[in-house]
Amino acid sequence: MSFFGFGQTADIEIVFDDADKRKVAEVKTDDGKKEKLLLYYDGETVSGKVNVTLRKPGSKLEHQGIKVELIGQIELFYDRGNHHEFISLVKELARPGDLLQHTSYPFEFANVEKPYEVYTGSNVRLRYFLRATIVRRLTDITKEVDIAVHTLCSYPDVLNSIKMEVGIEDCLHIEFEYNKSKYHLKDVIVGKIYFLLVRIKIKHMEISIIKRETTGSGPNTFTENETVAKYEIMDGAPVRGESIPIRVFLAGYDLTPTMRDINNKFSVRYYLNLVLMDTEDRRYFKQQEVILWRKSDKSRLPLHPHHPQTVSYQGHQSLRKQSVSSDDNSARATPSNPDPENVMQRSVSPSMPEKQNGPLQMEREKPEAFIDKLAGAHINENDTNDTSDEIEEPKPVEKLPVVDKPLIAEKPQIAEKPTLNRPEPAGSPNQ
Amino acid sequence: MTNQVSPVEEQEKLLEEALNIVKVQAFQMKRCLDKSKLMDALKHASTMLGELRTSLLSPKSYYELYMAITDELRHLELYLLEEFQKGRKVADLYELVQYAGNIVPRLYLLITVGLVYIKTNTNLRRDLLKDLVEMCRGVQHPLRGLFLRNYLLQCTRNVLPDTHEAPNENEGTVRDAVDFVLMNFAEMNKLWVRMQHQGHSRDKERRERERSELRILVGTNLVRLSQLESVTVEDYRRMVLPGILEQVVSCRDAIAQEYLMECIIQVFPDEFHLANLQPFLKSCAELQPGVNIKNIIIALIERLASYSQRNEGNMNLSVVLEDGQEQEVQLFEVFSDQVAAITQSRVDMPQEDMLSLQLALLKLAQRCHPDKLNYVDRVLAHTDKICTDIHQSSGQSTLEHHTPVFKELMKIIKLPCDHYKNILVLIKLSNYAPLIRHLSYQGRVMIAVHLINDVLETNTAISTPQDVEAVLGLLDVLVKDQPDQPPSESDVEDFVEEQGLLARLIHHFKSDSADQQYLITSTARKILQGGGARRIQHTFPPLVFHAYRLAFVYKDLKDQDEMWEKKCQKIFQFCHQTITMLVKAELAELPLRLYLQGALAISEIGFANHETIAYEFLSQAFSLYEDEISDSKAQLAAITLIIATFEQINCFGAENAEPMRTQCALAASKLLKKPDQSRAVALCSHLFWKGTRDGRPVWALNDASRALDCLKKAARVAQQCMDGGVQAQLLAELLGRYALLRERGNQSLTPSLIDAIIQKIREELANLDQSEEVEQITKHFHNTLQHLKNRIESPDPESLGYEGLTLS
Repeated sequence: MSFFGFGQTADIEIVFDDADKRKVAEVKTDDGKKEKLLLYYDGETVSGKVNVTLRKPGSKLEHQGIKVELIGQIELFYDRGNHHEFISLVKELARPGDLLQHTSYPFEFANVEKPYEVYTGSNVRLRYFLRATIVRRLTDITKEVDIAVHTLCSYPDVLNSIKMEVGIEDCLHIEFEYNKSKYHLKDVIVGKIYFLLVRIKIKHMEISIIKRETTGSGPNTFTENETVAKYEIMDGAPVRGESIPIRVFLAGYDLTPTMRDINNKFSVRYYLNLVLMDTEDRRYFKQQEVILWRKSDKSRLPLHPHHPQTVSYQGHQSLRKQSVSSDDNSARATPSNPDPENVMQRSVSPSMPEKQNGPLQMEREKPEAFIDKLAGAHINENDTNDTSDEIEEPKPVEKLPVVDKPLIAEKPQIAEKPTLNRPEPAGSPNQ
Repeated sequence: MTNQVSPVEEQEKLLEEALNIVKVQAFQMKRCLDKSKLMDALKHASTMLGELRTSLLSPKSYYELYMAITDELRHLELYLLEEFQKGRKVADLYELVQYAGNIVPRLYLLITVGLVYIKTNTNLRRDLLKDLVEMCRGVQHPLRGLFLRNYLLQCTRNVLPDTHEAPNENEGTVRDAVDFVLMNFAEMNKLWVRMQHQGHSRDKERRERERSELRILVGTNLVRLSQLESVTVEDYRRMVLPGILEQVVSCRDAIAQEYLMECIIQVFPDEFHLANLQPFLKSCAELQPGVNIKNIIIALIERLASYSQRNEGNMNLSVVLEDGQEQEVQLFEVFSDQVAAITQSRVDMPQEDMLSLQLALLKLAQRCHPDKLNYVDRVLAHTDKICTDIHQSSGQSTLEHHTPVFKELMKIIKLPCDHYKNILVLIKLSNYAPLIRHLSYQGRVMIAVHLINDVLETNTAISTPQDVEAVLGLLDVLVKDQPDQPPSESDVEDFVEEQGLLARLIHHFKSDSADQQYLITSTARKILQGGGARRIQHTFPPLVFHAYRLAFVYKDLKDQDEMWEKKCQKIFQFCHQTITMLVKAELAELPLRLYLQGALAISEIGFANHETIAYEFLSQAFSLYEDEISDSKAQLAAITLIIATFEQINCFGAENAEPMRTQCALAASKLLKKPDQSRAVALCSHLFWKGTRDGRPVWALNDASRALDCLKKAARVAQQCMDGGVQAQLLAELLGRYALLRERGNQSLTPSLIDAIIQKIREELANLDQSEEVEQITKHFHNTLQHLKNRIESPDPESLGYEGLTLS
């Protein structure tokens, strides 16, 4: 029994089991610095000890109970006060009473579901931390320790590639292919660009990886685009019939897995942007979403060299046939609404005249300002492909991968195919 | 205005700036390497390589920059190689360099690193080569792409797999090497061709110049292919050549096609060409219209021809075919067919090029198939056809001088001539003579002169009547008048020279068989007599001399040939006819001399009835003298000759001799000028007195006093001359003649007569003023006196002396 309410105080330390063996991961903090945190995966038990050290040994510490919490929360920077906790688990460590000496409380959160990956973006942060609290009448003594969480996925090795023919009528027709639509973070993008028609003087071509972070909902939606990488893949002007290889190693870039509608608070999506620049510095581009995912480290492939993953074309005709794709994907990328419906609408009337409005005034730094886009190839009536070929089309509609999180709303992110004008097929189940 | 920088200066400035950056970055790179800071070194290397992204430099400047940079890259390569060999591998280096954002530096680094990987671990070789050549597609800018790929080619030159069986599949075989280079070649060629179509059309000339500066980069691929030692003829046929040809044909660019085809010819071995003539030539036919196909085919032909010559004809022309059988390549047949196909398919081909092709074919036929004359003839026949076509299109019947077609045809005609060095071979070519007829008059003359000179040089004997006929057929232009001959007597000197050559040629019409020789000569005359007066005066004399020589041959053969006398008669009949033709052509001096020569020959041979014939010849000569020769000098010369001839002939009896010598003396005394008269009359003394020298018997018709009369008359005439000098000269000459005849045994010329002449001459000389002429005469006189003195002191026992003559 102490007469001085604040006479005794204590330090809390949280010690994790296997801390020395567990992997650590670098996580960006609020202020942009990087910090190494212990790494946990979904379903893993988080266990350890809470050590309470009394500052003044000998005298007792009265408390209303000691607990440890595991919290997963999303912080939106424009709404600092409100944190959205999607996980909050509590373990009582001690009933109210007195502490007389240093005490160590083991704890264990068994098989905790950790559905999301830690993330620090420009407008949002998702973190996990443990909070140990000694509850007292006046001021609680607390200690918070962040942990890192990575979500692992695995996709079947054989994945649909992305193939598409796009172009500007009578000006530029290209066909591009990325070997997959989903890449793990250490993956290599392998692909090819095949030039079907070139009537502009191209100076060079590059692929950039764009990260689009969307936070909030409704009128309060914020979108932040960031070019994570810019990679020149062609120098000079190709002629018709030329095919240019693409190979981009992802491991070197600062990427996270794709996140969709995380707890209805934010999304992080990645786009491959194929940009062609002509000699008058006009830019023609085509954005294509790709899914990034984190692969378990254990099965990492030995690295060098990477080349076997070349895309092989079986012959160009077959490719050309299948892509009757057309759409003027001129999504003006309004911050709130990259609505696929819109895009599809446009594809009904293929040769929209406005596709040529000046690409000149675009600024490369702000991709959302691009108005003129590399339009999708148009359905040309004269380009009478036998419709039977459509059967062969690789369905761009995303099938739900087996292990993917059910929460993530899948939209058909490759919406170019004219066949999609029909009522939405079952491809997007969990809108 | 003055501030404007010339393009050259501008280039120099840009290049210098770039080189400075390279220097700085290379220095930094090497420093980092020294400190083993590989990542930093790579960064500097990348910055340095960034300079190669420029579009401002001309190909020449870019090349310099490229050389400077690749030089520096070698340091990096050596460093990495050393590290790798020490086992200090840098993990994922091949991946790391691929993070470079710009493609040009990235690919240069990738190649450098890839090379190090290959060198340290051959297991990666096949895949890495494939990857590198594929990734280079990213550079589509012609200049930058060409140099990048050239770097790839340079780097890999020593590491290309060059075996048929690799110990390990991953090391690759020569097949992979071929694929690698072929792919690189195709891409480089595309880039190179593309240069032609970029930029403004007014820069076309400059672009073409730049392209030709860069062509060696493309050609290096072919060189590399040819350096793969394990490529067999079979591989070449199946993998290498089709790949190259496909690219060459499909690029549809004349500059590239021409250069690359020639490249192929130059870099690959002869055996390969031999085995693959068909596909190569077939591709030639598919080239663009602008390509100078002629040069390509000619280059190939020359190459194979000299190959065959190097092996002195022992060329192994057999090739193993796909079915394993050996077959000899019909070199000529193949070329002949393909050339025909090409000329047919290319309607726009210049005519001179068609002829050039034939020329090349001709060379081939001659050098590779020396034994097959019919090949040569076939080419000539084809050439003939082409020429006919040319005439049809031009409307003229001959090729004009100094036109390209003319020059080509000239070469074609000269080639067999210079090759065989034997006109007898040429006449076996049935199409040779017709070909000459396509030339203009001047051209034909040139060829004829060329042919004749050749015969003269090689001393070829033309020994059958048929050959003679054929040879003269070739020389038609010299033998008779031509319809297209220039009307005026343009150049008499040239004409005489040409005819002189022809005459020299006629001397080569000779056979060892006398009968044959007769036939030859008469054939030749038959042909040559069509040439008209201008020609026969040059061409007949050799014929006549041939005939005279032949008569002597028969004389030698008289023991073997019973008919020899008949034949000799016939020969002289022939000569008579021939000379008569010359007379009819209104010539005088020439036939006169030929008659005299004939008379001499006849008298020497002495066949039956020879006296009559000799008399006929001599009298013909004399009547020519009388009727045709009017010029006094010519008269003197002619009469001198006649007298000399008579003096030489011993066959005449008194019946024939008397009129002849009387006529001669008469003619001599009728000469116009006194000195001429004097000399001729003096000479007449020989008609009446012949010595006994050379073992001749004493002439039955010697008449000492008439000889003396002649001399006396000559002295008398001499003294009638007005000019003392001339008088003295004539007398001095006369003194010589006195002495001569006396020494020949004419006793009526007594020493006192001689002495009188001597005194007379002394008198005359004393009256003369000193002059050069007089000096000569005096000298002459004194020489004669000296001779006499010698004879007096040491008399010749066989001849008359000068007893009683005293010389003061």
